[in-house]
Amino acid sequence: MNTIEKLLQTIETENLWDKTITLSRNEYLKVKGSIDTNLYFIVNGALRIFIDDEFEEHTIRFGYENNIIAALDSYLTNKPSDFYMQALKKTEVNVISKARFTKLVESSEDSRQAWITILEDLVCQQMERERDILISSPVERYNRVLKRSPQLFQEIPNKYIASYLRMTPETLSRIKKS
Amino acid sequence: MKTTAENLITELIERTKQAINECETLNQKPLTDLNKKTNETSWSALECLEHLNLYGDFYLPEIAKRINESSWEPEANFKGGFLGNYFTNSMLPKADLKKMKTFKDKNPNGSKLDKNTIERFLNQQKEMLTLLNQARGISLNKTKTAISISKLIKLKLGDTFRFVIAHNERHLVQAKKAIN
Repeated sequence: MNTIEKLLQTIETENLWDKTITLSRNEYLKVKGSIDTNLYFIVNGALRIFIDDEFEEHTIRFGYENNIIAALDSYLTNKPSDFYMQALKKTEVNVISKARFTKLVESSEDSRQAWITILEDLVCQQMERERDILISSPVERYNRVLKRSPQLFQEIPNKYIASYLRMTPETLSRIKKS
Repeated sequence: MKTTAENLITELIERTKQAINECETLNQKPLTDLNKKTNETSWSALECLEHLNLYGDFYLPEIAKRINESSWEPEANFKGGFLGNYFTNSMLPKADLKKMKTFKDKNPNGSKLDKNTIERFLNQQKEMLTLLNQARGISLNKTKTAISISKLIKLKLGDTFRFVIAHNERHLVQAKKAIN
């Protein structure tokens, strides 16, 4: 068992989850403008995080079963965040408040290390994602993401994958066929 | 009604999220259910949403304009005005929904409606979230907006938000009843 799994097990055995939320397809866990300092553990289902501007939505990340997901900007700053978090299918999440989680993280060296590992992983993922966005060829963007997270193509409807890849659904379906 | 400005905005954002989620649930239902009417004068679920859209068409641009023009600095607290409290309380869905009169131009009865009505409502709620967020930067007490029912009255921006969101909740309750 790695340190993150241990951390999750501690939350489980010490009964630290605040509650469980069940969302139907397309329901929102969080909307733009709210302050949300919870961490969420996806028990089953899938979520997407997106922002909207005046004209369209931009899908930023996905969360799958067994992932931890959060509006990390709000979590870190306690300020409003413009992220939306939306269920893509029937989804169940366990919720832990920042207060409880912080207390847990500070309670032992192992927990602290697990949290650092989570954040380090995230930084690396964000750097990959930054490269994705900067690459101009749609085919290359597609190939990178397919290689990195094939799971995406099994679990997420095409229109959101297209949004994540910054291309139209038509372009995505053309690339998938070729 | 007295609270901090941030508490009011946070609460209204959360209630708008609830409205969006309820509308997403309606969006999963077949069109025949959404168009179902118990009698000729009662509204179907889609007619309820269209009624809200007609109000949104007035209030969202009005609120946006007033926020843009407002130079009143944000304040720590918000206090509901006399009329703001009155209008909001009259809207809140209670256990037993009493019938209220609708203004003719806001009556959707008999309109041809489809899932676009739902899309339009959802887009209006996202616009509402944008406005609530922008309103953090100005005074909810001193910024005033016009209202649709009388040219003589202006409400505090905070009250207008409360009123419109309570009105949404009222008709979402009605919409849910209409499909059952």
